Amino acid sequence: MIESIKGFLLVYPENWHDWGPQIYAAMWVTIKLTICSFTLATVMGLLIAVGKMSPIKIVRGFCIGYIEVARGIPTLAILFLLYFGLVPLGIVLDAFVASYIGLGLTAAGYMAEIFRAGIGAIHKGQREAAYAVGMTPYKSFRYIIFPQAIRIIIPPLLNMLIILLKDTSICSLISTDELMLRAKDLAMMSFRPMHLFLLVGVIYFFLAWPLSILTRRVEKKLQKSQRNALA
Amino acid sequence: MLTELLNKVYELGTPLLFGAITTVTLTLSSLVLAIILGLVLALIRLLNIKVVNALISTFVEIFRNTPVLAQLFILYFGLPYMGIKISPFLAATIGLSLNGGALLSEVFRAGLSAIHFGQRESALSVGMTPWMSLRYIILPQTWRITLPPIGNYAIALLKDTAVVSAIAAPEIMFYARNLVTRTFDTTFIYILAALLYFCLSFPLARIVDRFERNQKVWQ
Repeated sequence: MIESIKGFLLVYPENWHDWGPQIYAAMWVTIKLTICSFTLATVMGLLIAVGKMSPIKIVRGFCIGYIEVARGIPTLAILFLLYFGLVPLGIVLDAFVASYIGLGLTAAGYMAEIFRAGIGAIHKGQREAAYAVGMTPYKSFRYIIFPQAIRIIIPPLLNMLIILLKDTSICSLISTDELMLRAKDLAMMSFRPMHLFLLVGVIYFFLAWPLSILTRRVEKKLQKSQRNALA
Repeated sequence: MLTELLNKVYELGTPLLFGAITTVTLTLSSLVLAIILGLVLALIRLLNIKVVNALISTFVEIFRNTPVLAQLFILYFGLPYMGIKISPFLAATIGLSLNGGALLSEVFRAGLSAIHFGQRESALSVGMTPWMSLRYIILPQTWRITLPPIGNYAIALLKDTAVVSAIAAPEIMFYARNLVTRTFDTTFIYILAALLYFCLSFPLARIVDRFERNQKVWQ
């Protein structure tokens, strides 16, 4: 038993000169993809959340529709549509670009709901009080609503970052050269699927785990500060 | 023009509908298994045995912090390496339910801890056995709290089944890719597949909305 585990593990140093640099490069692609799609999702999500509260009916309808569609269709279907489905129409996207747009657009639907819930959780008396002391709508949002809402928003936002990090693995299916695809290629070349998939599993874990811990810590801290505010 | 379009939808949609059957079966079976696993894990955690709890939380952390795709690949490509060969559908069911079990165990844990311990004490004081208090007092209340997150999980699961096409389980995306290699009608087929997913998830989302609204009324 111990012999076979040792044999299993020894494969790594033997192949490291070959696997190491490739896996390392692919890891950076994964991280880049996560950050790009997270940024896009945050911006889009904020816009849609604001749009959903807009007084203009068409804008509101569009934003509600967007959220429903983005949350109702699998990321993979959207990625395929962007990467393969647009080609007959003459739009050829780079795999990385298609990946981050696809991930960002789907995540934006969830982001919008996160922002809306955060802003909606602030009692409307806060805004009224801000107006009463003579603040403009912008000022009341900037100095009163937003600082309070951000505390509610940050934990689910971090959660979304973890989800995006994990979802970048799906982009391997449209040939984005990130961790999963690299692992699959190397596995095919070396006939060692178990080694490589375990390796990338461990890498994903150590990328996501610190974020999970951070999320939990922030959550706890914010809960405490809320309790203090009530006391 | 219209008949042409309808013919096309019929011709390409039928195989996709076959895929949808697998998608739904896969979702339902993984959902049931994940609920059972999640509940069992959450209940075992209540026993407060240190070693067991540490094991369970390691399991939960691992499954929550790695992509489903990596888990599926390890199960499907990795296990034959150790001499275990399983079908894509089975690998998908096992992978998704382990993943879901890890997720839902946290949901159930939160739900169980939201029940005031006085509920259990009063159940015991009227002569119920610990099992009865769990079955008739604690779980019905937990169920009510956990229903909305379970519903949300079901939607996420339905969408996650699309990933399963990567290990060649014959669901919607798998059929869509096969159709594409046969007809090259990429745009149309993938839009159809996306629509099909939307038709499956939209009613589910409405049901979850209702759960959430009902819960607000209770509170």
